[in-house]
Amino acid sequence: MIPLGLRLTMQGGREAAVRLVLLVVAVGLGTGLLLVTVSGINAINTLNNASAWLWTGSNREPPDPAAAGIAPLWWHVGGDMFRGQTIVRVDVAPTGPSSPVPPGIPHDPGPGQYYASPALASLLRSTPADELAIRYPGHLTGTIGDTALQGPNSLVIIVGRSPAQLARTPATVRVTAIATAWPSGFEARNPNGLPNAPPVLPLQASGIDFILSVVALAILTPVLIFIATATRLSAARREQRFAALQLVGATRRQVSLLAAVESMAAAIGGVAVGFGLFYLLRVPLSAIPFTGQPFFPAQMSLSVPDVLAAVLGIPVAAAVVARLALRRVQISPLGVARRVTPGPPKAWRLVPLLAGVAELGFFVVRGRPAAVSGQIQAFFPGILLVVIGLIIAGPWLTMTGARFLARRARRPGALIAARRLADDPRAAFRAVSGLVLALFVTTVAVSVLTTDNAKLLRPYNDSAAANVLSDPLVGMGEGPSNLPAPSATDLARVRGIRGVTSVLEVHADAGLSIHGFGASAGLASCAQLAKVRGLGRCPAGAAVVGFPIPLSQVPIKTLANATWPAESVPAHRLNSLGISAVDVATNGSQQATEQARTILDGTNPYPVPQAPQTLGEWIASADALSNAYQQLTDVVILTSLAIAGCTLAAGVAGGLADRKRPFSMLRLTGARLAMLRRVVVLESAVPLIAVAIVAIGTGFAASALYASSEMQHSLVPPGAGYYLITTAGIVASLAVIAATFPMLRRITGPEVARND
Amino acid sequence: MTILQTKGLVKSFGQTPALRGATMAVSRGEILAVMGPSGSGKSTLLHCLAGILVPDDGEVWFDGQRLDNLSDDRRSELRRDRFGFVFQTGQLVPELTAEENVALPLLLGGARRAPAIAEARKWFGRLGLDGLEQRRSGELSGGQAQRVALARGLVTSPQVLFADEPTGSLDSVSGEIVMNLLAAAVREHGTTVVLVTHDARTAAYADREIIVRDGTISTLTGVEA
Repeated sequence: MIPLGLRLTMQGGREAAVRLVLLVVAVGLGTGLLLVTVSGINAINTLNNASAWLWTGSNREPPDPAAAGIAPLWWHVGGDMFRGQTIVRVDVAPTGPSSPVPPGIPHDPGPGQYYASPALASLLRSTPADELAIRYPGHLTGTIGDTALQGPNSLVIIVGRSPAQLARTPATVRVTAIATAWPSGFEARNPNGLPNAPPVLPLQASGIDFILSVVALAILTPVLIFIATATRLSAARREQRFAALQLVGATRRQVSLLAAVESMAAAIGGVAVGFGLFYLLRVPLSAIPFTGQPFFPAQMSLSVPDVLAAVLGIPVAAAVVARLALRRVQISPLGVARRVTPGPPKAWRLVPLLAGVAELGFFVVRGRPAAVSGQIQAFFPGILLVVIGLIIAGPWLTMTGARFLARRARRPGALIAARRLADDPRAAFRAVSGLVLALFVTTVAVSVLTTDNAKLLRPYNDSAAANVLSDPLVGMGEGPSNLPAPSATDLARVRGIRGVTSVLEVHADAGLSIHGFGASAGLASCAQLAKVRGLGRCPAGAAVVGFPIPLSQVPIKTLANATWPAESVPAHRLNSLGISAVDVATNGSQQATEQARTILDGTNPYPVPQAPQTLGEWIASADALSNAYQQLTDVVILTSLAIAGCTLAAGVAGGLADRKRPFSMLRLTGARLAMLRRVVVLESAVPLIAVAIVAIGTGFAASALYASSEMQHSLVPPGAGYYLITTAGIVASLAVIAATFPMLRRITGPEVARND
Repeated sequence: MTILQTKGLVKSFGQTPALRGATMAVSRGEILAVMGPSGSGKSTLLHCLAGILVPDDGEVWFDGQRLDNLSDDRRSELRRDRFGFVFQTGQLVPELTAEENVALPLLLGGARRAPAIAEARKWFGRLGLDGLEQRRSGELSGGQAQRVALARGLVTSPQVLFADEPTGSLDSVSGEIVMNLLAAAVREHGTTVVLVTHDARTAAYADREIIVRDGTISTLTGVEA
């Protein structure tokens, strides 16, 4: 029976071949996307684990100098930056041959040696030394292996120091083991209470899972609709064939087995295509910085259970679906009879859609849950309900649109289309459902991102303040209180430096009261401030003003126009205050910024957690995740639109194939081809437009509710790009429908009368 | 000797009655023509006799065994092993070649492919189908398709062949060829035939005729009941 089933599947003529190919493509797309999603989650876990070692010495990985037989390792984690990219710097000093060794290197570097990640090593080679290399004492002795890196672009350096050097460095601890897992709670201090937070944080697994879940939903739903549409292709012919088989004695079980073999054959082919797609796309996909930076291709891996679940689960699911599909129809040896003639869709179909919108609205009134997991539980069901609600409501909306069309129809083409739509609105909606969902996804994604962008600082990245390099010298509150001033002469030699402002630190016990600031205020010289554009101004006649420390505590959009409060501080008191921060105005060139950063790095007697950073870099890092989401959204929109186009093509072509007899009869009785074309276009355009209006409206409503509760912001209307995508999607779908016109001409020709 | 018999068959489709107490019998080896106007219930009678439809009331007996209360699978087995069918249109499986269509009942019965195909090929020569073994149904003329269907109906050497308007979609010449071959083949094998037709020329191949009118068998001609 199985060979017979395979034979029926493989040699069923052109229609069956098209159906098989479409099914394989649809299942392949679904499998491929599923594998990409699963491997993406795996990659995030691998990526997080790969950088867990940076949390060595934190409160959750307490150092244990007393561990028997292990020589402690002096350990200090700091941060740095180059051209907007964060560099993780770890200074280590082994106290003996048994000292622990960080992952990715063969042994601890000695004083004057350092290991760098391949990306940083490449930068060190290609960049002038005064912009980067001289920040690190010693020379490159090797590269850090991939197992210790989050991704191929990771910039990490492990610098060897002497125990004596690190023993004097604040925030240094002695450890006897390297951390192998992220701390379960966020701990930014070491057991001595000093800062110990590497500048690389774990990706929030629950948040990423939520995003990937939404992505999977947004892409897999159109794929499932595509699979369902492809499954129904030439369904009438298949069911007639099953009837013929029953006539000559095939039992129901045999017919079910044949149907299952057909579905499983397509599913197995689809799974193979899916794995092929996954391994083909893995490398280019891993290069897309969905999470802010690219993955190593190897990180996007699949576990054995993942592979087994796909290889076994998908064909079995296909067989079960085939079995269920056969239960919908009563096949007797005389032919196929629908068990139940479906009645017209009822208005209750709107209930799930309205319930989804109401669920999202509930959290506008009640407020969003505080925890990320709570937000997922709050918003995901609502969005899911809206998506499902659109699919459920689609046939009712189609029927409503069809009845409207029938009342207005003046020409036979419109009348035929309207009657058919009203007769079977489910089938008509099925063809356009993928496109409708794609429009919903596009509307939600674009409007939410537009709103998110409106909240961000990106528009201020062009201001003069964005080019100010700010160095909070002892920004974490510990260390020497009086640092030597940065070498003004060194900075003056750098081309592109426009001015330097030293911010003097005012301690709470200094007996000075600074207006308008809390305890972390400083003092700035008006003479210096006048040379630094973008950092505000002094009131007329003032010599010294109160100034924020750190600079990022003031919204950048208010910085440029700020007038700082004048302070009256005696000159002798000014001389007694230490420098807390240095703000260097540059012309924005990379060369000037990096040279200045290198000089500022050198003014610190030890590596600090917070590197000198321009305000533009600060803005960019704050926007990095949003940029990643933007890329992800673009991929989702393009993918779902493409899949929806395939669904539409398959649906329209399948509908034509099933009705070639009535259509050919219409032509025989004198109907012009143009009239049939009008019927075909109207049959797709009416449900498309009727449901698209609701989908787009619901998309805006869902986005507004989400923005209001989750983003605490009113919805910002999307720009021209959205309308361009929407219009292009609808025009492309009409083009897809028009692409079936040659088929319409062919299948309604006189030769169709031939009895097969 | 009676091989097929009905007693008071009643069958309705929704509110529309098709059979209203039809009683008849068919002798072994006999060719029986069931005639009647369109909508009289003759096809429904054939479908009940063949176990395709289950009557709402009444009994169907085949070879001493009550047929109408058998399970669906058991009736499928009967159709596969002991009955053959030829309908107005070939009811061929379009994905299969002509010889595979003929071999299909054997394959469904568990026969291996090679012997099943070999058995099927024997019928091609007898029915004037030489050279058409590898053709699909779409590549056959109406008469050729009906002869392939006839071969499929006879390949299992059935005890009863049910033919529902076997020449209904054919021209007179093709119809005559099909009926000549059918009659010759069944007489050679002693197969019983229940032949539904409204065409007197087709009915002329039968040993006996019954007429179905308004769901009852109103006229019997020929021999015993």
